[in-house]
Amino acid sequence: MLEHFHVPEEDKVMIRREDIFKTTTDIFEAMGMPHDDAELAADGLVTADIRGCETHGVSNMLRAYVQAFEEKRINPTPNWKITHETKAVATIEADKAHGLVICPRAMDIAIEKAKNVGIGAVTIHNSTHAGMMAYHAMRAMPHDMIGYAITGGGAVMVPTYGAEPRVGAVPHAWAVPANKMPPFVLDISSSSVAANKINLLRRTGAPLLPGLLAGEDGTPLMEEQEVPDTTRLLPWGSTRELGSHKGYGMAVIGQVFSGILSAGLFGISNPPGNGAQFVAAFSIDAFRDIAEFKDSMDDFLTYLVDTPPAPGHDRVYYAGLPEHEETEIREKDGIPLHREVVEWFDSATDDMKLDRMGRI
Amino acid sequence: MLEHFHVAEEDEVRIMPDALRKTVNELFLKIGFSKQDAWQATDVLLLSDTRGVDTHGVSNMMRRYISGVAEGFINPTPNWTITRETPTTANVDCDRGLGIAVIPQVMKLAIEKARDTGIGAITMGNGRHAGMIAYHAMMALPHDMIGYAITAGGQSMPPTFGGEPRLAPNPHAWAVPGDKEPPFVLDISSSSVAANKIELLRRMNSMTIPGIMAMPDGTPIMDEREIPPDNIVLPNGATRELGSHKGYGLSAVAQIFAGILSDGAFGAYDGGHMSHFVAAYSIEAFTDVQRFKDSMDDFMKYLRETPSAPGHDRVYYAGLPEHEESIDRHKRGIPLHHEVVDWFDQATAEFNLAPLER
Repeated sequence: MLEHFHVPEEDKVMIRREDIFKTTTDIFEAMGMPHDDAELAADGLVTADIRGCETHGVSNMLRAYVQAFEEKRINPTPNWKITHETKAVATIEADKAHGLVICPRAMDIAIEKAKNVGIGAVTIHNSTHAGMMAYHAMRAMPHDMIGYAITGGGAVMVPTYGAEPRVGAVPHAWAVPANKMPPFVLDISSSSVAANKINLLRRTGAPLLPGLLAGEDGTPLMEEQEVPDTTRLLPWGSTRELGSHKGYGMAVIGQVFSGILSAGLFGISNPPGNGAQFVAAFSIDAFRDIAEFKDSMDDFLTYLVDTPPAPGHDRVYYAGLPEHEETEIREKDGIPLHREVVEWFDSATDDMKLDRMGRI
Repeated sequence: MLEHFHVAEEDEVRIMPDALRKTVNELFLKIGFSKQDAWQATDVLLLSDTRGVDTHGVSNMMRRYISGVAEGFINPTPNWTITRETPTTANVDCDRGLGIAVIPQVMKLAIEKARDTGIGAITMGNGRHAGMIAYHAMMALPHDMIGYAITAGGQSMPPTFGGEPRLAPNPHAWAVPGDKEPPFVLDISSSSVAANKIELLRRMNSMTIPGIMAMPDGTPIMDEREIPPDNIVLPNGATRELGSHKGYGLSAVAQIFAGILSDGAFGAYDGGHMSHFVAAYSIEAFTDVQRFKDSMDDFMKYLRETPSAPGHDRVYYAGLPEHEESIDRHKRGIPLHHEVVDWFDQATAEFNLAPLER
């Protein structure tokens, strides 16, 4: 994540992973989730925080989830079911399950199918927010598989040349295991930035960078300015000349695999908070010798990080490498939360009569 | 395609698709392709040119394919083989066959697998140029399937923050059928523009556009200036702030599914070595086909009916402009640059073929 979006030093409170995990699990249980599901959802959230993806960690998401449980928009005890199934694919009606619960469970089904026939893919509808998509994709890696995950969504992004939001900032995530190198994990929204990052900017008071948002009439805002009141995301690429049709297209294809393929959901027909996802697992063994593949991955990723940097930069990364390094730091030093977030935790746990979250 | 990349009116010669098809097919036969492969390769090129994807049509590609065969790095009579296989997957050694002849045959196999299990996906190593990969993805459409295709190889694009090209602008293509609406067909390079477009700009003596190329030291060129001698393209997004790591990432994903997964290929592509990946997803395996297509119609309509932003008169979806262009070009012919037509005349004369009909 760009420096621009980080919590300022003076507002940081450091919290251990285990403490956030425990309190988050407690809160999910207080919302009525079974213990296993609560732990699964908490693991998804804390994994975002430990990797430095705080847009999708507890800071932005947990209070939104609590509110959704209270308003009965998330079902803590869903009775989800498979409505279509073949050897390689399945469609799940999620009964308003939390996305952070149904996606890992669906991925487990996909992994099982991939073990049997080489590939497994599951499309999901009538679920809810699914957190950081990389989490679900990464679930395939210990099985020597490539993971892929998409979540569809409502209308927050303008199509190229469009004046009103009609597509989601639909993210796609891939996770690919290597041998000695940290895995390649790409998790990209199809907008210039995730909508959550705009909320972070508002919280930190930072200015809006050019190319991230559209004005009221759809015109790309290409100058630095104050963050406008309405969040109209631009597709990745910002303008047609810079390739915004690619972000727009990635959003549409993501919506096709999640919403349309599962239940015909998109834009207006996709009520706010109604999630649709797609997860897939590709067994490496079905294509190539696993050890050879992983060695090739090591060679490829080494080749990328060894690229001489351009002037003004000291290193070249690959997707997943900064997050891997951030994980090592945060496992040791703790996770920096904004003090306002810690205050929210304290008032929430007090309300629910739970232990307060531990501090370092 | 942006107006910027079109052949200027005064330089264009209109050729009817059937005439172009005849000459291209004859040229492929002359360089040793089998009847079936010549037809297949011609069909891919023609679809590019009729859909207005000039970068991957005959203008840039035909002479490269002919010299590739002449210099021995394209095998005109490949004997491609399956080296590993499961009910949903396969790994294919392309035997240096030209992608536009081999990939469609492999895609047929992926479609067969998808019919049996729901999904078919095949990785291909030791291949050569894939042409417009939308073609391979679109093969799934008549089977009520979603098609996907990737090609990868070479190095003309630096990673984000990188000072030297280590990847190619590897493209991904998806094709999704609707019912009455033209299909959604997205074919995107992971760079701001395809490297072929830089060649088009050079041919037309245009300037570069900000955000599409890098200096030799990797610094993004963010203003208009003369095109530098080396074609170093930027990942889509141009700078890290605007999301160049996404273009870089999509390029790496393509390299992994095509190159690493097939035979471990990445980096420099000796002799034009390219890797490919195709997949087919059977819609019926997930949901009712008619319901899916009706939803696609509604979705596509909803997108193209978005009120347009100031300065624009319409909103499109991927595949719609190409569909309209195809109707127009079948009627009025394909606009080729006169320099390209000259090349055809030279080539047909050398091979003792009838000249391209105007």
